[in-house]
Amino acid sequence: MSTLLLCVDKLEVVYQRAITAVQGITLSAREGQIVGVLGTNGAGKSTLLRAISGFHGIDDARVTEGSIVFKGRRIENSEPHAIAQTGIVLVPERDKVFPNLTVAENLAVPVAPKLAGSERRRRETQVMQFFPKLGALRNRTAGLLSGGERQMLAIATALVCRVELLLVDELSLGLAPVVVDDLMARLMQIKRELGITIVLVEQSAAVALAVADYSYVLENGRIVLDGDKARLASHADIQEFYLGNANGGQRRSYRDVKQYRRSRRWYG
Amino acid sequence: MQLAVNITVLAAIYALIACGYVLVYRVSRVLNLAHGELMMLGAYLLLMTATQFSSHWLAALTAAVLLSLSTGVLVYVFLMRKMTGEMVLAAVLTTVALGILLRGAMVLIWSAQQFYPAQPLQIANVAIALPGGARISLCAALLVLTTALVYGALLTFLRFGRWGVRMRAAGQNPLLAAQRGINLHAIYALAWGLSTLTGALAGMLIALDAGLNQTMAIIGLKAFPAALVGGLDSLAGALAGALIVAAAEILLINYVDPLLSEVVPFLVLIAMLIVRPWGLFGTREELDRV
Repeated sequence: MSTLLLCVDKLEVVYQRAITAVQGITLSAREGQIVGVLGTNGAGKSTLLRAISGFHGIDDARVTEGSIVFKGRRIENSEPHAIAQTGIVLVPERDKVFPNLTVAENLAVPVAPKLAGSERRRRETQVMQFFPKLGALRNRTAGLLSGGERQMLAIATALVCRVELLLVDELSLGLAPVVVDDLMARLMQIKRELGITIVLVEQSAAVALAVADYSYVLENGRIVLDGDKARLASHADIQEFYLGNANGGQRRSYRDVKQYRRSRRWYG
Repeated sequence: MQLAVNITVLAAIYALIACGYVLVYRVSRVLNLAHGELMMLGAYLLLMTATQFSSHWLAALTAAVLLSLSTGVLVYVFLMRKMTGEMVLAAVLTTVALGILLRGAMVLIWSAQQFYPAQPLQIANVAIALPGGARISLCAALLVLTTALVYGALLTFLRFGRWGVRMRAAGQNPLLAAQRGINLHAIYALAWGLSTLTGALAGMLIALDAGLNQTMAIIGLKAFPAALVGGLDSLAGALAGALIVAAAEILLINYVDPLLSEVVPFLVLIAMLIVRPWGLFGTREELDRV
C-alpha cells in the first residue's frame, strides 16, 4: 500500500469564533489516490478544502480541534502561502484565475521555491502539453476565457506550483457535461503522468464516484458515509439521494416519493 | 511657453506623489491619507543626511532615499500589518492617525522654521533657459526627469517583472494569490516601501527647489485629487489626472486669481466625482469598496 500523504483527524472548523462549520471530520489520502468528497450545498465541503489549504485573515476562521498532517508535518492554521509552498494547491470554486492578467501572466504568478528558472520553464511547457488550447490563448486576458478554459488555466497554474496534492473544488460547476468529461479525462492523464494525489469535492455524485478511488459523504458538517467505489455505488442512500436511481432506475410517480432520510450515525 | 513648462513641472510633482497613493491602494485597497506627511518626512530626512554628508550630495540623497524606503516598510510591518483582515475603513483611519502623529513629531523635532536643504549640499539651483523663452530651475528639471524615470520603471516592473505581476495578482484577489504561494505581507511591505520612496523623492526634490517647512504636507493632499481623477487603481490614470489637475491649477492662477491655487485640485476632484466617480482609467466595480 502506498504511503499516507494527507491525514485529517477529527477536524473542527469555527467561523467568527461562533459558527461551527464542520465537526469531527476524519479523512485520509494516500499517494496517487483520488479521494472524492460528496455532499449537498452547505455540507461543509468547501470549508474542509479551505481548512486544508489555509485560512486567510479576512476569513476569520480557525481550526479549533483536530489536526491536519501533510507528509508527516502538522499544517493546520498555517498561512495559505506557506501551505501552498509545501505542495498543497487548491483550485477554488469561483475566482480561480486572475481576470485582469493574461493567461501567460497567470501562469507566472505561482511562487514555487526551490525551482530554478530553467526547470520552471520546462515545467510550464510540460503543463501546456496537457492543455494545448491554452497555448493558443497565451496573450488573452483571463477574464475573457470561457468557463472550461478558465478551469483549465486554474488547473495549469496549480500544476506550475509543483503540486503534490491537488484540491479541486467543484470541477463540474457551471460547465457543460461534455466539457466536464474532457476535463476529467485530462485530470486523470495528469494524475498518471505526474503522480499527484487529488482530492475532488463535488456536488455531482456521478462525476465524483466515476473516478474516485475512495469517497466520503458529508452532511451538515460531518462525515456520514465513506467507502470505496463499489461500496458507495451499491449503497441504497447514495443511489436514491445522490444519484437519483431509486427503484432500480424505474420511473415512479411523485405520489410514491417519501422525502425523508434514514437516520444516520456519524463518527467522531 | 512658460505656462506649458509650469504645467509640466506641477504635473510632474503631482504625478510623482500620486503614484504612491495608487501603489498602496492597488494592492491593498487602503487609501493612505498619511502620504503627504510621509513625503514631508522624506524631505526632512534629506535635511538630516544633508548635514551629515554635506559635501557629497549623491551620498546624502541615496541615504535619504534608503531611509524613506525603510520607513515605508516599517510603517507596514509595525502598523498596517495589524490592520490586514480588518475593515478597510479602519485601515484608512489608521493612516489618518499616523499622519497627525507624524506631523506633530516633525514639528517637535525640526520646528516650524523654513529650511533650505540645497544650501548644505551646495547645489546651485540655476535657471536653465529653454527654447521659446521659457525658463526652468535645475531642480524642477530634475523633478520632471525623476517622475519620467519613476513611472517608466514602475510601469515596466508591474508589466513585465515577475514580482510586479504577482503584485497585480495580489491586488486583484489576495486570497487566490496567497493560495498560489505568494506571501502577502511581503507584497504589501514592498508596496508601502515603494510608495513612501516615490513620495519622499518628490518631497526631497520640492525641498531642494523651494525650501521646506511644515506646510509641505498640503502638497501631498493636493496630489490626492490627481490620483482620484485618474482612477485610484491605475498608474497611467494618475499621470493623466496629474496633468489635468496641474493644467487647471496653472491656467486658473494665471488667468483668474492666484489665490485659487489651494482649491483648484479639489474643484476638479468634485467635478470628476459628479461626472465619473470611478475616475478616468479606474475600474468601475471597485467603487463600492472605497
